[in-house]
Amino acid sequence: MRDIIAAALDAAALAGATYADARIVDTRKEDISVENGRVEGIESSASFGIGVRVIAQGSWGFASSADVSVRGAADTARQAVAIAKASALCAGPSVELTAVEPVVDTWSGPCEIDPFSVPLEDKLALLLAADEVLRAEPAVKLSKAQCGFYQVHKWFGSSEGAFIEQEHTETGAGIVAHAIGNGEVLPRSYPNSHGGGWRQAGWEYVLGLDLVGNAGRVAEQASQLLGAMVCPSGEYDLIIDASQLGLQVHESVGHPTELDRVLGDEAAFAGTSWVTLPDLGTLRYGSEHVTVTADATVPGSLGSFGYDDEGVPAQRDDIVRDGMLTGLLSSRESASSIGRTSNGCMRADGWNRIPLIRMTTVSLEPGTWAFDDLIADTECGLYIETNNSWSIDDKRLNFQFACEIGWLIENGKLTKMVKNPNYTGITPKFWNSCDAICSSDHWSVWGLPNCGKGEPMQVSHVAHGAAPARFRGVSVGVGR
Amino acid sequence: MSENTQAARELALRAVELAFAAGAHEAEAVSSAGTSALTRFAGNRIHQNVAEKDASVSVRAVVGTKVGVAATNHTDDDALRACCEAAVAAANSAPEDPSFPGLPAAMPVESIDRTAETTRQFGAEARAQAVASIVAQSSSRGLTAAGGVKVSDESVAVANTHGVDVAQAVTGLRATVLSMSKTGGSGWASFVSRDASELAASALGEEAASLAERSEGAVDLEPGEYTVVLAPEAVADIVEFLGYLSFGAKSVAEERSFMSTRLGEQVASPLISIADDALSPLANGLAFDFEGQPKTRVALIEKGVATEYVTDSYWAARLGRPNTGHALPAPNSYGPMPLNMEMAAGDATLEELIAGVRHGVYVTRFHYVNVEDPVPATLTGMTRDGTFLIRDGRLSSPLKNQRFTQSAVEALSRVQGVTRERRYIGTETSPVLVPGLLVAGFRLTGQTQ
Repeated sequence: MRDIIAAALDAAALAGATYADARIVDTRKEDISVENGRVEGIESSASFGIGVRVIAQGSWGFASSADVSVRGAADTARQAVAIAKASALCAGPSVELTAVEPVVDTWSGPCEIDPFSVPLEDKLALLLAADEVLRAEPAVKLSKAQCGFYQVHKWFGSSEGAFIEQEHTETGAGIVAHAIGNGEVLPRSYPNSHGGGWRQAGWEYVLGLDLVGNAGRVAEQASQLLGAMVCPSGEYDLIIDASQLGLQVHESVGHPTELDRVLGDEAAFAGTSWVTLPDLGTLRYGSEHVTVTADATVPGSLGSFGYDDEGVPAQRDDIVRDGMLTGLLSSRESASSIGRTSNGCMRADGWNRIPLIRMTTVSLEPGTWAFDDLIADTECGLYIETNNSWSIDDKRLNFQFACEIGWLIENGKLTKMVKNPNYTGITPKFWNSCDAICSSDHWSVWGLPNCGKGEPMQVSHVAHGAAPARFRGVSVGVGR
Repeated sequence: MSENTQAARELALRAVELAFAAGAHEAEAVSSAGTSALTRFAGNRIHQNVAEKDASVSVRAVVGTKVGVAATNHTDDDALRACCEAAVAAANSAPEDPSFPGLPAAMPVESIDRTAETTRQFGAEARAQAVASIVAQSSSRGLTAAGGVKVSDESVAVANTHGVDVAQAVTGLRATVLSMSKTGGSGWASFVSRDASELAASALGEEAASLAERSEGAVDLEPGEYTVVLAPEAVADIVEFLGYLSFGAKSVAEERSFMSTRLGEQVASPLISIADDALSPLANGLAFDFEGQPKTRVALIEKGVATEYVTDSYWAARLGRPNTGHALPAPNSYGPMPLNMEMAAGDATLEELIAGVRHGVYVTRFHYVNVEDPVPATLTGMTRDGTFLIRDGRLSSPLKNQRFTQSAVEALSRVQGVTRERRYIGTETSPVLVPGLLVAGFRLTGQTQ
């Protein structure tokens, strides 16, 4: 791979690039799903190619090809330079990159049992067994069990002298039972919705989930939802479970603190941010209980790596400390524009995409509460679990989330189950209403393998740590 | 047949041959080959400029009634053979599926030219010049423009062991512009065509810039039910979500669609007709589905009546319906889906719709729409880039972006006017064609700051 990357870098330099990097990426995937006792899909796929990113005449150019040969790499590099020169026809100030020490290194993620070595029959047997338990509940009209595996091996080289080889494996699995009746479709998932739980790990992660053992409870709750009361409307003290809170962090802290959004580079598609550059160090983002970190070094997290796709080492950085905005997720170019160094958040969705600023493991740090104490401390409220739907405006201010299930909290006790709970809010008001976060005993990292951003659309694999937390006076039951 | 189309066809045919040799009783291959390039701009300058060339194939192998799929972008014979063997191994590992009807037989597919040489020739310099023309309309007024100009030239081929052998190329261009003022105004315009020479870049830039200037100084609006005029960009979101949620056989059979219980009923205003018609001279995209079956016209909603839903070979067999030719690539959890929808035109202009509203809201487009309840197709999302109060038949104050939480089916039942002008919205190779709508009682449930 060194020869091929060197060919790309040399060709780029000869064509007039002042900076170049090349990434060769080899990915392998397997997805298996079972629905209502039937194998819905067994699919494997492989993709291999090279992407070359250059700066020429002060502007960016990028080209990619599945032809991973010395000649193909050089052709791709020359095309990238030609594109960069076209970019210069409508250019701004010349691109500047903040300095990074070029390293030669390797990194690999944790994986005990290679999931690709586990027989398909074993995977199917586990999924079919879980699905059978789901379907034993008569109200469950649609059941699903799935698992997926993703392996990536990539090589990065830059004209500054870096050469980095990294590989990791991701594993995910989950079950969902849909109770359907009277014009309602009510899902209940485990361990998370939208494809289950995901980790940088191997088959051992699936075994540890105990899908079969959890299927009965999931199906029973789905069935109970059909007869549950509709979520009331009004302002409630809201306690949000860790998985949903992870998504809340993702949408209303992670995305708005991406520096490319703050600078307007994603304005036309994903949007900008309510955060502005002068806010750094001065903005009260949330209450004093709220500390959010971005950490690419969490073992086993989807947001972890050795180096980002610009060769910047993995880091842990504060984004919000005790409620104050202290950091932004950055790249070499964006950090340079605000006089900082990159905190290493650039990742690309494969060989045919440029790296963009992406979240790593962006987490709400734990507080001190025991979950039972938090419920007991809440007189009149709502406790909700597991995301069902999400939406947020283009500046990441007005959000609305729906969850799969909730329970009223009355006089410090969880009482009636509610269906289709949803809530809405404005980001800073919401985070400033946080008055209690559960302790590290209740804190967990949730992999999120479907974060979309950029054009052409890129799907990034990120993660969020969270523990259940309480927010005062939140509008729930919207649009009922 | 273009070079890409020939390459895709040869790849699909070779994969079917290799899968059969690897032990498949039946085999199908879906291949694609092509190029795409996107020039993105923000802050009145090009900041991302990318190009991609790839070819890939996905092989569905069938052993008895057991099915496995494998895909690769390694197209040499050894890699292709390994891919086919993986598909066969997957099939061998699966349990028998008595409901699998077998792969479909070959059917005649209409030959349609959905390409434009001008699009193929629209290179990096042409894209940069188009961007410069777009940006000039904003920068000259002190506004900031962002967006993109994308071109693609993709060929798709499908082959199977029952004689299916179809291939087609589609070219497309999509240009988008967001223009923003320093004080919060923003405007949007987009353009989609198979022919890049039809792009009027300056005019597109002007449309967005004018809207941005017009939308400065947004004011508050109380939540409530409002009469709204939805520009085509906003209507496209509603139609696309109905396609995703409601118009496919799988969601109907699983009682996740309003059509499950309301086929034949008046579900929408008589002014509303929605069809999926890949063969329409106005459409772009493939004339066949991802099983190589001819796409047929399906009247989904006809004068407000829920009429029909789309199928593929599996769901047609399972439900005893005709195969309408709407398969997605296998495997998928969505079932068949309409990808070439168009809503029938009405007889009004957008201005006439606005003129008929005493107190209401004009919406240029929606943002980040998602599903809260699938059966009534209850959606939530935000307005964006040009939301205005309508007072006494005229656009008045710009409004802060509004959140809606609204059943799409219910909204279509309250349509009171449809524009005769329609626009293509969406991806460059599979856009929807939609008019603007006047909708009563549209639920706005909040606003941003």
